[in-house]
Amino acid sequence: MELRTIGLTKKFGSKTAVNALDITLSNGVYGLLGANGAGKTTLMRLLCNIQNPTSGKILLNDENIAELGEKYRDLLGYLPQHFRYYPDFSALDFLLYVSTLKGLSERTARKRSKELLEAVGLWTDRTHKIRTFSGGMKQRLGIAQAMLNNPRILILDEPTAGLDPKERVRFRNLISAFSKGRIVILSTHIVSDVEFIAEDIMMMKSGEIVRFGAPKDMISEMDGRVWECMVPAALAEKYAAVYSISNLRNINSDQAILRIIGDRPPMKNAVKVRPTLEDLYLYYFKEVYEE
Amino acid sequence: MRELIHFELRKILSKRLTQIVFIGILLFSAFLSFSTYQNKYAFDGKSAEGTGKTAVEIDKKIAAKYEGILTDEKIRQMMDDFAPKYDLRGINAAYIYQNAMQSAAFARFADMDGHWNGLSVSDVFGDEEIKVGYVDGWLSTSKNLVRVFMALALAVIIMIAPVFSSEYEGVDRIILTSKYGRTKCATAKVIVSILIAIFSTALVTAFNCILALDFYGKEGLDCSILFASSDYVEGFIPFNITCGTLLTYQILLAFTGTLSVTGIVLFLSAISKNQIVAFVASMAFFLFPSMLPITEVDPIFRIIGLLPLYHVQAVSLMSVEQMENGLLYAVWAIPAAILFLGFGVFTSRRVFAKHQVS
Repeated sequence: MELRTIGLTKKFGSKTAVNALDITLSNGVYGLLGANGAGKTTLMRLLCNIQNPTSGKILLNDENIAELGEKYRDLLGYLPQHFRYYPDFSALDFLLYVSTLKGLSERTARKRSKELLEAVGLWTDRTHKIRTFSGGMKQRLGIAQAMLNNPRILILDEPTAGLDPKERVRFRNLISAFSKGRIVILSTHIVSDVEFIAEDIMMMKSGEIVRFGAPKDMISEMDGRVWECMVPAALAEKYAAVYSISNLRNINSDQAILRIIGDRPPMKNAVKVRPTLEDLYLYYFKEVYEE
Repeated sequence: MRELIHFELRKILSKRLTQIVFIGILLFSAFLSFSTYQNKYAFDGKSAEGTGKTAVEIDKKIAAKYEGILTDEKIRQMMDDFAPKYDLRGINAAYIYQNAMQSAAFARFADMDGHWNGLSVSDVFGDEEIKVGYVDGWLSTSKNLVRVFMALALAVIIMIAPVFSSEYEGVDRIILTSKYGRTKCATAKVIVSILIAIFSTALVTAFNCILALDFYGKEGLDCSILFASSDYVEGFIPFNITCGTLLTYQILLAFTGTLSVTGIVLFLSAISKNQIVAFVASMAFFLFPSMLPITEVDPIFRIIGLLPLYHVQAVSLMSVEQMENGLLYAVWAIPAAILFLGFGVFTSRRVFAKHQVS
């Protein structure tokens, strides 16, 4: 299965959210990283065909998804970034409703709902009204609904928002187990979420994919660009204003260790260290945050 | 599809606002019927006088005495029976109310002092054969139904306005990416809206008719509405139809009214960004004809009168014309309702299917 965008562009007035995007995605997990406003959500909505592109097209196995209609949606699972539930529905009712929308038989719907509620840890709360759920519980329910139809294309927009660390680990394991033979795209600005499970990472900035590749290869590009150095704690803030700092750790009341991203050693005592995906992210999105 | 309909029904019926609206309209009906019944007054011109149940019994007794085709003899008899036995001190006798039959007779056949004005039945009603009897109960019911059906139309707007528009507040992205979200789901929403409109109208109509039967009995359904007391605007429908026909038309117009409203609301719900906008737009569309400076005699009223507001008001639309086949012009409400509903069904499904998430 291959999902391809050709010159995909989406403009809102004078603002270009997605700019002439040409990407090809085959089976695997793709992490879409980008700062807020980078165009991630718009790209995902375009891929879900709930927003029409200003120009360009999206092809699934060389067929335009806009023309595939029901056939495409049958393969699709989508967790939106922001969405609402029916507060008077229970978790199970909601999944049964979405199953019906997805065309599942009642038997399959019940079976899948049970499996997924167990997988996201909501089985014991299945009869509770959604209005009583916490943000994290709602998010887990959202993940469950997206996977009801065993989608071949799973698009998850900020899936780990509101999840605690334990739930995030559970989510990562769920996606890893599920992803075989499917296209899974998950957007986030929490780098560690995709670091473990994504086979490829797309870095999106101002509507364009600025980097696309395997995490290992991308991290290796950062070799020699990440430094650590010990500085007087009193000057740490001053250095932070000058350099791109990915971490600042006070080791005692006088000394602090700075992790600095830069093409050259920032100071004499700087030591080259092994880069992480977070360093890469900061390297590319430094200006965005500075703005 | 059946399951989708079930879920869509649940979405509407599980809302507290829907439940409040349903209970509210039934309570309003009950209150209106009961207060009308309790406020009935009758005096037989001799000794019997009373309110509520007693008044209804007095009116029925008087109606039974004159039951049948209205003749000049009966008119003269009524004028004798109900002649004022006291000095009116300048009050026009036509405005004096003793009982339903007296009021109907005095409104047409009495002079200012309550004496016969010399007009015959044919002078007032032409060649029409006027069947008289106890029409007061059904005419009261008809009068109340105008208010009840008006409230019902507003209730239908409240229940249906969120059908599409509330989904745009966040669930649309899940629905529209589901296999049947743009097709069967939209159809289920339309079907459920129509079912809600039909069911509500049937329920409210049945409830009011049961109350009317309990309070007033079956008498008078075959009697003319023309010989009605001056209280009833229904008496101004200038055609010799029976109370049964009046109620049949009124109930028919209630259904065409709520179905027309459903069509319009479905369309407005599909194009509105949220349910408040859909609700306000629907209310405005429904109520705006009341602000138009158009009377029933205006030729343009034949078109304007087919807007849903006039369906539920009934009387104006029923006053337009009686056609050669005996049907009232109001039957045009049926094709009008089909048109409104068809438009709403077609456009709302299309708009929802093409909706762009924002």
